[in-house]
Amino acid sequence: MEVTLKFILNGKPIEVKVPPHWTLLRLLREKLGLTGTKEGCGIGECGACTVLVDGIPLHSCLLLAPKIEGKSVETVEGLGGRDSLHALQKSFVDHGAVQCGFCTPGILMSAKALLDGNLHPSKEEVKEAISGHLCRCTGYQQIIEAIEAINKDVRE
Amino acid sequence: MIPPFDYIIPETLEEACNILWEAGKDVGVIAGGTDRVIGLRNGDHSPRLLIDITRIPELRKIEEQDGRILIGAAVTHSEIASSPLLKKYGRVLSDAAYEIGSPQIRNLGTIGGNIVNASPAADSLPPLMVLNAVGKIVSREGAREVPLDQLFKGPYETNLKPHEILVHIGFEKLSSVMRSSFVRLARREAMAIARMSMAVVLRIEKSTNLIEDIRISPGAVMPRPQRMSEVEELLKRKSPDEAILKTASQKVSGVMVRTSGVRSSTSYKAPVVEALFLRAMRSCLEDRG
Ligand SMILES: Cc1cc2nc3c(=O)[nH]c(=O)nc-3n(C[C@H](O)[C@H](O)[C@H](O)COP(=O)(O)OP(=O)(O)OC[C@H]3O[C@@H](n4cnc5c(N)ncnc54)[C@H](O)[C@@H]3O)c2cc1C
Ligand code: FES
Ligand code: FES
Repeated sequence: MEVTLKFILNGKPIEVKVPPHWTLLRLLREKLGLTGTKEGCGIGECGACTVLVDGIPLHSCLLLAPKIEGKSVETVEGLGGRDSLHALQKSFVDHGAVQCGFCTPGILMSAKALLDGNLHPSKEEVKEAISGHLCRCTGYQQIIEAIEAINKDVRE
Repeated sequence: MIPPFDYIIPETLEEACNILWEAGKDVGVIAGGTDRVIGLRNGDHSPRLLIDITRIPELRKIEEQDGRILIGAAVTHSEIASSPLLKKYGRVLSDAAYEIGSPQIRNLGTIGGNIVNASPAADSLPPLMVLNAVGKIVSREGAREVPLDQLFKGPYETNLKPHEILVHIGFEKLSSVMRSSFVRLARREAMAIARMSMAVVLRIEKSTNLIEDIRISPGAVMPRPQRMSEVEELLKRKSPDEAILKTASQKVSGVMVRTSGVRSSTSYKAPVVEALFLRAMRSCLEDRG
């Protein structure tokens, strides 16, 4: 049995049929062709699948699709594209915060949620915001710097 | 892979109770799903139908009523951690909520799910024990109020019936003379769940410097959440000096060993639970100002 879901995806209202036992992650990747959101662990430990639901970072691997009925979902595809990078994406590139890139889409979404609610986060707040993300490559330092650079840009 | 099921999101409590009652077997309740979805993936359970209770208004609010605080079962850990009402009147619980998992887990996981899942390591349970929390449970058959320390049968086992819903948890507000503390072993470096913790509520009579009220509940060291009443009795009407704290801490590990039996991990756990107890007590004592 499929259910029909209506929700806002990256700012646009959509309607889609989905089996209710699918996760939002599976819906995004397998039905909507949005493969920017990654599946790492599938059990809420790594953060690679993080998307924003009504502005709040959640693991899409643990979120059953029917839960997003009527809500607004933002994925990395909504942040910016190849020719129109979001300030955060640009800052990640500039600071060498992307190596293999597997963790990047998820971290970008948590960083966006942080900055949307708090234009001048402290280093501690930045660390806290990305504490649910694992990165095997960077050691986190460049990622923290990339996010902090944004709030400096705004201040200047 | 998650096996297929149907999914209903009722808008009212009555509707949810009716569906649960009529659907009979192989039906389950789901809140945030942070435990449930992992169970589905692992094949621990394969329900025919899931009832999502997160859009029922009564389950979504934190309120103050006649000197008590009521927390809806579907309130998330993030909402508990940031609630001004809880910071003021139930700090031991909001501090614990802030320690749970990661931001994403706290944004999705609920207090009701934490309780009903009944993991011995669930972080909200020791605080709820020292707050003397009472759960309100409803079904088509009616409503009942259950002190939470009577809800748990063992690890991952409660006496909730399959058609019952936990609506809210209530406790008497901690007054400003009460001190409380929640301490946990590792502060989220690892996101693994097996972590020991300690929750304490303490009131010292100013004029006599004697302990008038003391409530102690450890996390992840006993098969089910409970208070350590033996240690509480030992401390009552005593002056909180180092000697008595030391004696009490040894009693804490003694009770732990007696309740959970001697295991390979005991030699590691005993000094840790003692240290956690001392840290929690000292944090309450320093806080007296
Ligand atoms: C990566 C990760 C890290 C975690 N870290 C921690 C941690 O540090 N500390 C900790 O304590 N927990 C942790 N957890 C466990 C989990 O997040 C919590 O137990 C959470 O509170 C569960 O709530 P939920 O709403 O997601 O429950 P669900 O998964 O929706 O439900 C859990 C169980 O409770 C039942 N249930 C839920 N609500 C009700 C209700 N109102 N009435 C009747 N039955 C109900 C469901 O039927 C199910 O059996 C972690 C989990 C993950 C995946
Ligand atoms: S894939 Fe969701 S947290 Fe790892
Ligand atoms: S850049 Fe490779 S995991 Fe983070």
